[in-house]
Amino acid sequence: MSLPSTALSIAGLRKSFGSNEVLRGIDLVAKDGDVISLIGASGSGKSTLLRCIPMLEIPDVGTVSVGEDSLSPTGGRLSRAQLAVARQMRGHLGFVFQNFNLWPHRTVLQNVIEAPLFVQSRPRAEAVEEATALLEKVGLAEKRDAWPAHLSGGQQQRVAIARALAQRPRAILFDEPTSALDPELVGEVLKVIRALAAEGRTMLIVTHEMGFAREVSSRVVFLHQGLIEEAGTPGQVFGNPASERCRAFLSGHFDRNR
Amino acid sequence: MDFAFLSSIFTQLLKGLPLTLNLGVLALVGGFCLSLILNLMRTTRVGNALASAYVFVFRGTPLLIQIFMIYYGLAGFGFIRHGFLWPFLREPYWCGLLALILNDAAYTSEILRGGLRAVPRGAVEAGRVSGMTRLTVMRRITLPIAVRQALPAYSNEVISILKSTALVSTITLMEVTGIARAAASETWRAVEIFLCAAAIYLALSLVVTRLSAWAERRLSPWQFGETP
Repeated sequence: MSLPSTALSIAGLRKSFGSNEVLRGIDLVAKDGDVISLIGASGSGKSTLLRCIPMLEIPDVGTVSVGEDSLSPTGGRLSRAQLAVARQMRGHLGFVFQNFNLWPHRTVLQNVIEAPLFVQSRPRAEAVEEATALLEKVGLAEKRDAWPAHLSGGQQQRVAIARALAQRPRAILFDEPTSALDPELVGEVLKVIRALAAEGRTMLIVTHEMGFAREVSSRVVFLHQGLIEEAGTPGQVFGNPASERCRAFLSGHFDRNR
Repeated sequence: MDFAFLSSIFTQLLKGLPLTLNLGVLALVGGFCLSLILNLMRTTRVGNALASAYVFVFRGTPLLIQIFMIYYGLAGFGFIRHGFLWPFLREPYWCGLLALILNDAAYTSEILRGGLRAVPRGAVEAGRVSGMTRLTVMRRITLPIAVRQALPAYSNEVISILKSTALVSTITLMEVTGIARAAASETWRAVEIFLCAAAIYLALSLVVTRLSAWAERRLSPWQFGETP
């Protein structure tokens, strides 16, 4: 049996907004099939880190690789050639936003087939067939002709997940996928993500749902002030963290839920 | 009521309708194209300043004065009188149309700008992150959403321009209002004549209002509780 190859890697990543250095040198590797949860206090840089991977934020220095494609932007800008590589990388990633960001002027099905048709130029019949299967998978087959505005937050987020999957991504990035949801809708979205993990999908998840992170992740990464403070299996990080800060963060989190 | 007179006046006025529609439609088409250019200019700093100045001037001065400036004013410049455009610019039709286009572009560009600003950032980001090129994001996401946002305000502009074509009657053009003015000074029956003219404009506005409501419903059905 061959070892899983590297789906995604980040090396020496730094990013500042003005004088505020949000990421101060991040190294991270995700093998195929890894489910990595990024946790940490707000402002620790975890969302920025996730947004740097598809170059929604352009790093100041550092390298991001997705499959065969690799980018090392300098000076917080992309050249024309780099932008083309970035688009290729984006095509191999799925991104799920905190606020869903569905396209309001397209139906559920149209949202899901948009990238397959207009980025990947796949035949319409094939895209529709695949989208239908994906909507079935997230439990929204009967909503295929609905407008996003008519769906609940949980349903919109599940459509967004189907939309990400339709790109046939090498890895899926989740940016706090349940933070904008009413508490009673969180479960339906986590259930879908859990099923994806069970399929062996490669995923990076920024989350505040500690119980979920513990259960679903193969690795947990704790960020503090722009650096990886602690990383390991859920058992290590949640059970016996080496870092004092990680311990404090976790106990604060679990106390609050008690 | 003298119905025979009314109907004869009405048929007379309707002869001006093609010119009214011609000016209105061409002003809207030309104004829209120019407004796209004005919005493209706004992506650079200098262009933004120029576009703002343009809008300031053409929105801040009366259309009637713009018409007079172009029709009576341009002839004062020797280089224009001897320029290649003079065969056009000495015709009242082209002067009137030019003024309408320039004026409409100022308003339309602001309407379009409002529509573009109302496009949710997240929708654009979702397009970029799916691997779309800038052009595809513009074509598939930004413009379709902006146009839907701008539609109600734009239908106002369409009505406004159709009514504004009446002003070109002051530079001898015989559209609906021009014919009405001539008929009124001939017959001294101003009330009936201008009532007929007003009814024609009212009918045009009604058509535009209906068309825009239909387009809104068709383009944004989710706002009306409809499912496809």
